[in-house]
Amino acid sequence: MADLAHHWLADQIERVVISEQEIQAAVATMGAQISRDYAGMSPVLVGVLNGVALLMADLLRAITIPVAVDFMAISHYATSAPTGSVRIVKDLDESITGRHVLFVEDVIDTGLTLDYLLRTLRTRQPASLRVCVLFDRPYRRLINIALDYRGLELPDEFVVGYGLDMDGYYRNLPFIATLRRNQIRAS
Amino acid sequence: MRVDVNRPRPSRNPDVPREAIEFAHPSEQEFASILDFFGIRWQYEPYTFPLRWDENGVVIEAFSPDFYLVDQDLFVELTTLRQKLIRIKRRKLRLLRALYPDVQIKLWNRKDFEWMLRRFGIEDQADDLVGKQALENPDG
Repeated sequence: MADLAHHWLADQIERVVISEQEIQAAVATMGAQISRDYAGMSPVLVGVLNGVALLMADLLRAITIPVAVDFMAISHYATSAPTGSVRIVKDLDESITGRHVLFVEDVIDTGLTLDYLLRTLRTRQPASLRVCVLFDRPYRRLINIALDYRGLELPDEFVVGYGLDMDGYYRNLPFIATLRRNQIRAS
Repeated sequence: MRVDVNRPRPSRNPDVPREAIEFAHPSEQEFASILDFFGIRWQYEPYTFPLRWDENGVVIEAFSPDFYLVDQDLFVELTTLRQKLIRIKRRKLRLLRALYPDVQIKLWNRKDFEWMLRRFGIEDQADDLVGKQALENPDG
């Protein structure tokens, strides 16, 4: 595990639960598999902002075949919205119809968000649609989704880092960590 | 309700329009709103599962899971109760799984629900949705 003594957030981080090396090894493995499986297919990698930013950057560099990349963003849930539903606040720049799409997600838990996004993308009739997820919380799953590429399982505790945030912060940590309790309450 | 104890079957409860559903707890209403937000088809307490019956076949214990996710064929029992009462509910779930092995059911407890509120950035609503007393006294 990383030595936190000199980390710039040492006073806020409680414990590193998945190291930078473990994450990079998982991303490299997925990148190699994707490069093999999609050889000659020129897939487009699609991610949802903001959490996927770090993973997408590293995954793209771990893939050794020609790929395109595109992003979308969706609205957040607001409590007890009577007729609320997900809104796409930033759509893909390019059409995915007839293209091989690999949906890249930093984390899956309930599967609610991913299920919605996959349903949305399927209506656009891609040639194929597969799913790549780095972090999995299978014990929180409500919607079963087949994961074609799966990285690491997250522990059942509140963690931040590598795209996972608390109130928009901590995404830039290169590892996954728990926060000191006073940090969680202070936010 | 009489049941063939050798082949128990759940009984179907009447359909209730979404706007007329009376949720038993605010957390259930929030859970329903979250499912609606993501376009998940659900039903509220659509079935009652007989669990125990007397020597005449009359049901003396039954269980109606809170939610049925239609496309997942999954029942979800949402509980924000104290730990002691969750044990009772877990016993019912064990009975249900033994009697109806084909039924998929998931217990979504207070910890799961609070986690979900945090996940969607509304953890500040926990007191209203889960219950302050339960939060302060997790062991009942």
